[in-house]
Amino acid sequence: MAKGYVGRHLRVDLSDGRCSDFTIEEGLLRTFIGGSALGATLFLDRYPLDADPLSPESPLMVMTGPMVGSGFPGTSRFAVCAKSPLTGIWGESACGGTFGPELKKAGYDGIIITGRAVGPVVLVIVEGEARLSDASDLWGKDVYESTDLLKAGEPGVKVLAIGPAGENLVRFAAIGNDKGHFVGRTGLGAVMGAKRLKAICVRGSGKLEKADETRFREIHKAAVLEIKESAVAGSLHAMGSDANMDIGMINGDVPVKNWSVGEDFALSGALSGPTLSETYLTRSHACSHCPVACKRVVRVADGPYQTEEGPGPEYETCATFGTMIMNGDLAGVIKANELCNRYGMDTISCGSVIAWSMELFEKGTLTTKDTDGIELTWGNMEAVLTLLPRIALREGFGGLLAEGSLAAARKIGGNAVDAVVHVKGLDLPMHDPRGFHGMGLAYMMSNRGACHLQHAVLTTEQGMASWPQLFPMKDDYRGTTSEGKAELVFHSENYGILGNSLSICHYLTDCLKPETIRDAFNAITGFDYSFADLMACGARDWTLKRGINNLLGVTAKDDILPKRIMTPLAEGAGAGSVPDVEKLKREYYALRGLDERGVPREDRLRELGLENLRERLYAT
Amino acid sequence: MAKYQAMTQEWLDAWKEKIATSKEYREIAKNWEGSVSMIVNPDPEKGISEPIYLFTDFWHGDVLEIALCDKTKAESAKFVMSGDYARWKQVAKKEVDSTKALMQGKLKLKGDLTYIVRNIKTVNKVIDLLCEMETIWPDEG
Repeated sequence: MAKGYVGRHLRVDLSDGRCSDFTIEEGLLRTFIGGSALGATLFLDRYPLDADPLSPESPLMVMTGPMVGSGFPGTSRFAVCAKSPLTGIWGESACGGTFGPELKKAGYDGIIITGRAVGPVVLVIVEGEARLSDASDLWGKDVYESTDLLKAGEPGVKVLAIGPAGENLVRFAAIGNDKGHFVGRTGLGAVMGAKRLKAICVRGSGKLEKADETRFREIHKAAVLEIKESAVAGSLHAMGSDANMDIGMINGDVPVKNWSVGEDFALSGALSGPTLSETYLTRSHACSHCPVACKRVVRVADGPYQTEEGPGPEYETCATFGTMIMNGDLAGVIKANELCNRYGMDTISCGSVIAWSMELFEKGTLTTKDTDGIELTWGNMEAVLTLLPRIALREGFGGLLAEGSLAAARKIGGNAVDAVVHVKGLDLPMHDPRGFHGMGLAYMMSNRGACHLQHAVLTTEQGMASWPQLFPMKDDYRGTTSEGKAELVFHSENYGILGNSLSICHYLTDCLKPETIRDAFNAITGFDYSFADLMACGARDWTLKRGINNLLGVTAKDDILPKRIMTPLAEGAGAGSVPDVEKLKREYYALRGLDERGVPREDRLRELGLENLRERLYAT
Repeated sequence: MAKYQAMTQEWLDAWKEKIATSKEYREIAKNWEGSVSMIVNPDPEKGISEPIYLFTDFWHGDVLEIALCDKTKAESAKFVMSGDYARWKQVAKKEVDSTKALMQGKLKLKGDLTYIVRNIKTVNKVIDLLCEMETIWPDEG
């Protein structure tokens, strides 16, 4: 068995309660490495793609990579994968925190769960032994309370738990890890809920064996020095991800008023990373073995939005519950974040569906008769905080929003869909493609729908890192041009997507030299991969997930940007500019080896060693 | 427009004049307090045989000082930025955004990054005004 892996995965069938181990052959590990890439190939080869995401047959996978548990900075990540109940295509979401390393210490590289339990259960894995226990007493409790109770009952465990939103199959339900980290996107909390799996608890003391421990220690030392020198790391440590708010507003990155306004500096100033640090920050927090410590811990001590001390909002949340809904009260954002965390909901999709409904309320498409009396006016945080529990519990109007913005808009009909800002059913993250055309292409082509974390385009196009050793790259890209962006996106995807198979944090890939990450990977696994090998793994990962999506019905017609994004803004750095979608798509398809239907060509599939996928795509 | 030799006091005086007469700068920079020094690392091949130290000082929209200085004074500034000559030139010619150069490690910063982010519009405006000047660079004759 290759080093860096435990060499054992856990299979759990909740329908019959059986837990059994299985191994994955080394060839597959060398080809796909781990994380969501390995999850995708197992999903393709072993499970029914056409099963409803919320059915017992559809698997939920919790996957780590070979670097997880090594102690190398940024490698606390793990990926949760399943067919998404929000989009109906490939779904995945990565998370930091503590769970990934602990799972490996407990004796497993990953877990694949199928079936549906008769009643609520918790999967407990301690020192290589897995068992299911009754969770009836936890059902209905929120993520924080459930986590506390589970930790009290089984000291030392790291916990993945859903809240009421997951139990109620909210299409954008999230999964919480130890109350501070969230598997946010694509509604995977609902998959857990459908399986009646309230939580997974892990604890172990196993030690990860590395191929070259001495070499690893040298590289680790160098990595810590690089992080110490990195301005990106310094910025993240000082201000968290919300450091982007001030700079992003200047550069045309931050969406305002459901993507209809180009800039609002009063809002960005009120919601920025420095403001958060000066007001509600109590301390910073780090994922396992991370010297950056970008996580914010906050408390609102007084006023209408009081919270207990807990995880603070990321930039994305400050935008969705701030600029997107015209709210400049940071305490209100923190309160909304706390409620989303407790109920277990993705703050991006949740904030987006609320912004969309506010726009419809302003236009008169929705009235208080539709919203159960809630005045959904812009910036009305009382309305938002009233609505959040109703979404999680699917009460009244909240039940409509719980279906996600696209499904809700289709139900309302008329022009309601025009105000939904999504790609393939996933609401856009808070980076505006009118300011950065490459991001637009990345959204169009991301395999889980509009996404900023399946690639490194945010980093490369906005100039946070420069990697000329990986691919031809300019020192500075102008955001509002589509020229040269297809090539930038193609390469940035192939490198960035590795974060999800190596299971390393995207922020750390911004802080560390690619050589350092490659060398650490090789010292751990003994694979001796070159940059070219790793970039090929990235290309294979992207193409595999694309092929799965093709089998699920995705075609070239789905590779589009929403109407709102194709409408120029009147003000801000992105004013008057929209991505040249046709040019970007044409150039990108050529680089990626996609035919006019948007399907990977046979020669490209052979070149990448995706023979099973080729047979499935070209079966007739 | 007059042309100035880069890294000379004459060049810095002209830059100071541009900043001092910019109404937009005065408005944007009304909250800025403190000095920023710039250290240009030597590059003999480009005609920079010794490090060059520049000191700038701003207060609530006023420009107090922009001058060549010695190492001690440069290192006493509230913010100290350093980098190779080629990088500074890229920034001053607007070929590379200063924030990007900082994030990519091409320029180094000592000082409170949070303050810089909070006042990023001020930083950008000062550099924009520098970029507007006609500059003769040592390696361009």
